[in-house]
Amino acid sequence: MGLDDLIISLLTDHTVRIVGAGALLMGITSGVLGVFTLLRRQSLLGDAMSHAALPGLALAFLLTRSKESAPLLLGAALAAWAGALAVIAITSYTRLKSDAALGIVLSVFFGFGLVLLTVIQRLPTAAQAGLDKFLFGQAATLLQRDVATVGVVAVLALGAVGLGWKEFKLLSFDPAFAGVQGFPVRLLDVLLTSLVVLAIVAGIQTVGVVLMSAMLIAPAAAARQWTDRLSTMVILSALFGALAGIGGVILSSVGDSLPTGPAIVVCASILVYGSLLFAPGRGLVWQRLVTSRRQRMVRALRVLAQLYWLGTQHGDPLRPHPAGALRALVGPDVQASLRELAARSWVRRLDDGRVALSPEGLAVGRDFLVETEPVLAPGTPESGERTA
Amino acid sequence: MTQPLSEPTLAIEVSDLTVAYRDRPVLWDVDVEVPAGVLMAVVGPNGAGKTTLLKAILGLVRPAAGTVRVFGQPLKAVRRLVAYVPQHRDVDWDFPTSVLDVVMMGRYGHLGWFRRPGSRERALALAALEQVGMRELAHRQISQLSGGQQQRVFLARALVQDARIYLMDEPFAGVDALTERAIVKVMRSLRAAGKTVVAVHHDLQTVREYFDWVLLLNVRRIACGPTNDVFTEENLRQTYGGRPVILEARRT
Ligand SMILES: Nc1ncnc2c1ncn2[C@@H]1O[C@H](COP(=O)(O)OP(=O)(O)O)[C@@H](O)[C@H]1O
Ligand SMILES: [Mg+2]
Repeated sequence: MGLDDLIISLLTDHTVRIVGAGALLMGITSGVLGVFTLLRRQSLLGDAMSHAALPGLALAFLLTRSKESAPLLLGAALAAWAGALAVIAITSYTRLKSDAALGIVLSVFFGFGLVLLTVIQRLPTAAQAGLDKFLFGQAATLLQRDVATVGVVAVLALGAVGLGWKEFKLLSFDPAFAGVQGFPVRLLDVLLTSLVVLAIVAGIQTVGVVLMSAMLIAPAAAARQWTDRLSTMVILSALFGALAGIGGVILSSVGDSLPTGPAIVVCASILVYGSLLFAPGRGLVWQRLVTSRRQRMVRALRVLAQLYWLGTQHGDPLRPHPAGALRALVGPDVQASLRELAARSWVRRLDDGRVALSPEGLAVGRDFLVETEPVLAPGTPESGERTA
Repeated sequence: MTQPLSEPTLAIEVSDLTVAYRDRPVLWDVDVEVPAGVLMAVVGPNGAGKTTLLKAILGLVRPAAGTVRVFGQPLKAVRRLVAYVPQHRDVDWDFPTSVLDVVMMGRYGHLGWFRRPGSRERALALAALEQVGMRELAHRQISQLSGGQQQRVFLARALVQDARIYLMDEPFAGVDALTERAIVKVMRSLRAAGKTVVAVHHDLQTVREYFDWVLLLNVRRIACGPTNDVFTEENLRQTYGGRPVILEARRT
């Protein structure tokens, strides 16, 4: 099957469209709520909460004996909430720190969920088949009804974020100041955590409980690299989440035994690493470039300073000097610096290998020496001795 | 001295305040009366409970016992009248937002639920930034600010709260001499406008110059009153647990 066939079939196939819609909703919701989770440094809480959803799913199934998504997701939401409450209770009533509390909640809830799943697998009925898709997600099994449920959840969550935008922003930046102005901080916190629960619920069928937390972290972390505005960050994060969702669905429909969750997370990771490396300003590559350019510039200015000083020693600042003399003064990488200076036409390179300051270079040299007198002014013992 | 018929208004009246985070009380049976219109320093060693006192006045920590009244009323009724300048280290300055945005947050309480800041809030925020000498930096990302600039952003945010009482937690911590002068100027203009300012202050050398009222605190209230009466060697020795005070003056 060629690529264009694949694309056409993806766009027209009913199942793929449903699955794509599910992934899109999941990506957008977790992208948006993930921004707040990330900025409030609650990524690990998101992780614990999504793992904690598993026993809720299993219990809901045991109670209803059906794979209807609404009751299962309700069970998941309640359990995720219980997980968050358990973390709060452990940190406020024991001496355990929050990382310990998160670890305990995650492993206890998730372990219990796995036990329940095992019990369910042994049931004599056939209805339980495929419940383990909630571990790693299997978007291909999404039904239209499921997507409709997820859609309601997503609209609720996003609508609430839009409505309480100013309040959630303040809560995330400076909760104490929110309290000073009379906003009920505890209530806002509960609301925002509930919205994160909704995001988890919206993604759990597509991504699964194990990898759901990656969707709360990755798109937001990638988005943070590209912008310094909260609103832009939220939009970008939603976009990245949607991209990862769709990309993952396509990946897993091509490689047919690949569960959707891991495929989506692979896509999200690519976005994160790409952003960490290449985003302008914050990206590592960018910073490396800027730093090395600055370093080169400083080295070049050192050479310029030496030229200026040599010139003033001889009573003529523009007088040419042999490059060798400079090398003795500033070290072996003088050629690179001279190229840099020549490129800015601060220095003229003569055919006989000598170099001279240009009038512009002279002006720069004067400024630079005035600014950095104590550090780079010639006549420091080192350079002074060798030329004396 | 005879009392006037109506008591002179107290901006803040703290009675029998006791606060404990765990078992050991951080504030013990503290009484403080802050007359309206004073510039008051809160002085005491690290861990004395100064921040906790401000937070208790603001309703951010729940006291084990005691009451706080603001202009004779419970805080809830007059919340808008109290502005807060927290220590600038209290928040994450890598948060994706601009100086102007942070200052406008001081208007959120007045706006109430769901209403977004608009041009009026913008104008107020810009005026406050002007007052603290930060107007040109309005659109800067907050991660690119020095400690002194962060402190001034928080001061501007409190100014737009347009309150009658300003509580400031170590406004001079980690700022250079220039910023310190700018902040003192703002404090004085607040007092000139009839506002009350309460600031946690660590530099004993400047207490007399900056403040006309002092609270000496170390878990208990050691003394509270006009600087000239209260800011004495003896009281300071008590506050700092008998240690030589002049050395304490250098701490930050
Ligand atoms: N949130 C908290 N939980 C537990 N202990 C705290 C908390 N905040 C402050 N403390 C403790 O309370 C005491 C007083 O703190 P604080 O009011 O910050 O003092 P100050 O501002 O005078 O330095 C200190 O011993 C501090 O360790
Ligand atoms: Mg303090």
